[in-house]
Amino acid sequence: MKKSAIFGLIVIAIAIATIITTYSSSSTYGSFGDAKKTTEELHIVGHLDKGKELYYDAAKDANYFSFFVKDNKGEECKVIYTGTKPQDFEKSEQIVLTGRMTGNEFHASTILMKCPSKYTQDKIEVTEFKAKAASI
Amino acid sequence: MDIAFQGEHLLPGDIGKVFVILSFGAALLSALSYYFATTNTNKLDNSWLKMGRIAFWANSISILGVGVMLFYVIYNHYFEYHYAWAYTSRSLPVYYIVSGFWNGQEGGFLLWTFWQAVLGNVLIWRAKSWEKPVMTIISFSQVFLASMLLGIEVFGARIGSSPFLLLRNAVEGPIFSRPDYLSFIKDGQGMNPLLQNYWMVIHPPTLFLGLASVVVPFAYAIAGLWQKRYKEWVAPAISYGLFSAMILGTGVIMGSLWAYESLNFGGFWAWDPVENASIFPWLTLVGGLHVLIVYKNSGHSYFTATFLVLISFIMVLYSSFLARSGVLGETSVHAFTDLGMFWHLVIFILVFLALSVYFLVVRWKEMPISKKDEDTYSREFWMFVGAIFLGLSCFHLILVTSIPVWNSMFGTKIAPPTDLVGHYNVIQASFAMVIVILTGFTQFLKYKKTDVTRFFITTGLYLVFAAAITALVVYVTGLYKLHFVFVLVMFGSIYSVLANGKVLTDSLKGKFKLAGSAVAHIGFALMLIGSLIAAGTRKVVSNNESGNINIKGFDRGSTDAKVGGDIHENIMMYRNEPVKMGPYTVTYIGDSVSVPNYYYKMDYKRYDANGKIAEEFILKPNAQINPQMGLVSSPDTKHYLFHDLYTHITAIPEIKDKPAGSGDEAAHGEENDDKNYEEPIPHEVAVGDTIPYRDGYIVLKSLNKEAKVQNIPLTGDDIAISAKLEVVSHTKTYQADPVYMIKNKTVLDFARKVEDAGLKLRLSKIIPDKNKVEIIVYQQPQNKRPWIVMRALDFPYINFLWSGTIIMIIGFLLSIRRRNKELKTV
Repeated sequence: MKKSAIFGLIVIAIAIATIITTYSSSSTYGSFGDAKKTTEELHIVGHLDKGKELYYDAAKDANYFSFFVKDNKGEECKVIYTGTKPQDFEKSEQIVLTGRMTGNEFHASTILMKCPSKYTQDKIEVTEFKAKAASI
Repeated sequence: MDIAFQGEHLLPGDIGKVFVILSFGAALLSALSYYFATTNTNKLDNSWLKMGRIAFWANSISILGVGVMLFYVIYNHYFEYHYAWAYTSRSLPVYYIVSGFWNGQEGGFLLWTFWQAVLGNVLIWRAKSWEKPVMTIISFSQVFLASMLLGIEVFGARIGSSPFLLLRNAVEGPIFSRPDYLSFIKDGQGMNPLLQNYWMVIHPPTLFLGLASVVVPFAYAIAGLWQKRYKEWVAPAISYGLFSAMILGTGVIMGSLWAYESLNFGGFWAWDPVENASIFPWLTLVGGLHVLIVYKNSGHSYFTATFLVLISFIMVLYSSFLARSGVLGETSVHAFTDLGMFWHLVIFILVFLALSVYFLVVRWKEMPISKKDEDTYSREFWMFVGAIFLGLSCFHLILVTSIPVWNSMFGTKIAPPTDLVGHYNVIQASFAMVIVILTGFTQFLKYKKTDVTRFFITTGLYLVFAAAITALVVYVTGLYKLHFVFVLVMFGSIYSVLANGKVLTDSLKGKFKLAGSAVAHIGFALMLIGSLIAAGTRKVVSNNESGNINIKGFDRGSTDAKVGGDIHENIMMYRNEPVKMGPYTVTYIGDSVSVPNYYYKMDYKRYDANGKIAEEFILKPNAQINPQMGLVSSPDTKHYLFHDLYTHITAIPEIKDKPAGSGDEAAHGEENDDKNYEEPIPHEVAVGDTIPYRDGYIVLKSLNKEAKVQNIPLTGDDIAISAKLEVVSHTKTYQADPVYMIKNKTVLDFARKVEDAGLKLRLSKIIPDKNKVEIIVYQQPQNKRPWIVMRALDFPYINFLWSGTIIMIIGFLLSIRRRNKELKTV
């Protein structure tokens, strides 16, 4: 067999290995229900329950922030994040959490929040226009 | 809708729109003319060529016209235009108005098409016999870019997005039915504060020049296949490709410098999809360049060389699709939203992909593919292997970055790996390790055939030497605590520096033309060394156990890296209360405001063994509360030669209109004010006595019996006594003089505040028989005092990354010079 053919096979093997590693380390989007069944980390898409307490007291612990999230299936769970409270967290429309369950609490390692203003800049400004128009 | 709107300036927009359409038409005409010029069999007929050139010049001038008009609109703050309103504001300094220019997607396309026009003009001037086919491709690409700016409706579908869109057409609102709506729009939305950084003035043009220039080697590769000039296209393509790789690499690193200096994720590379996308073309192009050189020297690997050059431009288009189509959605923080150009971008990719595939298939049989195998001990074989590994590294990046694309293509719901950064780091490091080792020993091999024994001796010698240095470096920096693959990368990089260093010293003795590759490889290896140590052994400075309270059921301080990287990285700082962290004693000493930025002054002190201050400096990380983005904080960094100390704010109390600390000194009996304090504590003291309190102590220095209070004249029997108090809070000393007064037989007293210490002091009673006075101490509860939460990181040896980049650029420049010389001689 030619050397280039052997090398070609090695390259294909590495490419396949890369696909398999990526696929096996990829995660899934799930619910709190799924999180309770597994010890793996997973992504949960949901929204903040604005009726319940957001706890962050930098004086007690600057690295502790807890809140309640309702996932897309309507299940609610207390979430603990080991970091500072993101500014304007209350305004978030959607939250993507990465983490795992510990007891009855979900320990998030990352929080990705989507604010209404961040992506559709124009939308929020429209309301401001109304305010300005009304003040005449 | 026949409202006569008042105060609008429609002329610049109309002229701009005409220029956009003109640039599109001219590009189309140029592409067609060049196509006919290429296919024309009559060698003496230059009419198509002339027409192609004139049309291309017209295209270039139109693009300049668009740019001038857009700049005019932005510079004059014509907020009736959406672009000016959305990305700039009146308060923006002029140099940021320039960067506002490429803030939006339309500006990005404009910049891209501008650079492509510049490159086209260079090619018209220099390409000689290649002009016709190469310019056909360039003009064709110009057609697509111009169409992105059209913003006109065809059959109900909007094609492109115009930078001259009017605000009233872009945004809906009842206000726009008023003819005088403009008088209510006083200012634009302003620029994203994160982009208000000097790097943002030069990073986008550099990056876009890099991206735009990838089309040149692509056009040469197509032209080579089209015109069946299989060998000749390689030499000029190497020159332009080197230029392109150099500029693109510089642009990417500038972006990471910007991220490091003004973003707060605490690093220089986050594996964000948009970042990854910008290096796809770099990896394939650098791979392609190596294989082009292989082909030039040995006649091997023609197909791979062509393929890598072609795919590089497809990668440019794909990365633009990823960033602009909105497909990345929630996986990226800085992708744009879809401007309705999703399919437009897809067509752009598919057309050029089809063009590449077509020529490869049609010319497959004629391609000069060598039947002979390369020698195992030849330079070309291992250069080829290295290029393939660059391709594999790119393949993995594409695979993971495109997860949202796979999801939308196949309807799957795969989420990216949870520990995304770790995943990228380990796999990309594995590829990097192979690549750097190859950049080392391949330099000892010769083209075609090498003396094997000598090769093994030199290689072996350098390997042993590199292993020894690696052991030392790994031990000193603590890199051994990480995944073993990083140690291997370190080994490979050090080996590469040594081996290429040898080549460089040899080249200085005579074979100077080899210097370019050696220097570039050394630069690349140094970049890897710098980023490995800086990112891998980054230390959190801001961890301090005191003042933290354990919360039940919460595994704080877990060393499990998978659970929260942020554990314990943030620290609470009260004003004027020194906190020890790492080797420093840090005090938050105050803020200053330069609207809209709030600067927090952090005083860093380092003491030597004798307790003396060895070093003191102030860092001013800033934060701004942006109406659209919430807390936007930018770090401040103290740069040392061998490490950087990086500090940023992670949480602040709600910012009031008035910065804390400017509180008025003279208090006027505000009962409510007492609520801000803890239960007051009265103390009976004599002159010279000391009152202890939580953060220090207060000394009654003396009593002044002739105190005066502003605006209160004293008469006859009135008495006014002030206590001269010295407040020592931690290391700071403050003065306060509360006043006790009897006026018209009524007892009054005037409290004094020491805001920085969080104290209010009253002189409430005089007790003549004991010769004492009563001082009431009001302390602010901890959480009422000015505070911030900050994070400080230490990046060791990060300067290797930046200096490596500069060295790599120098290497590229040397190589370009060499290849250009060869061009002239051939």
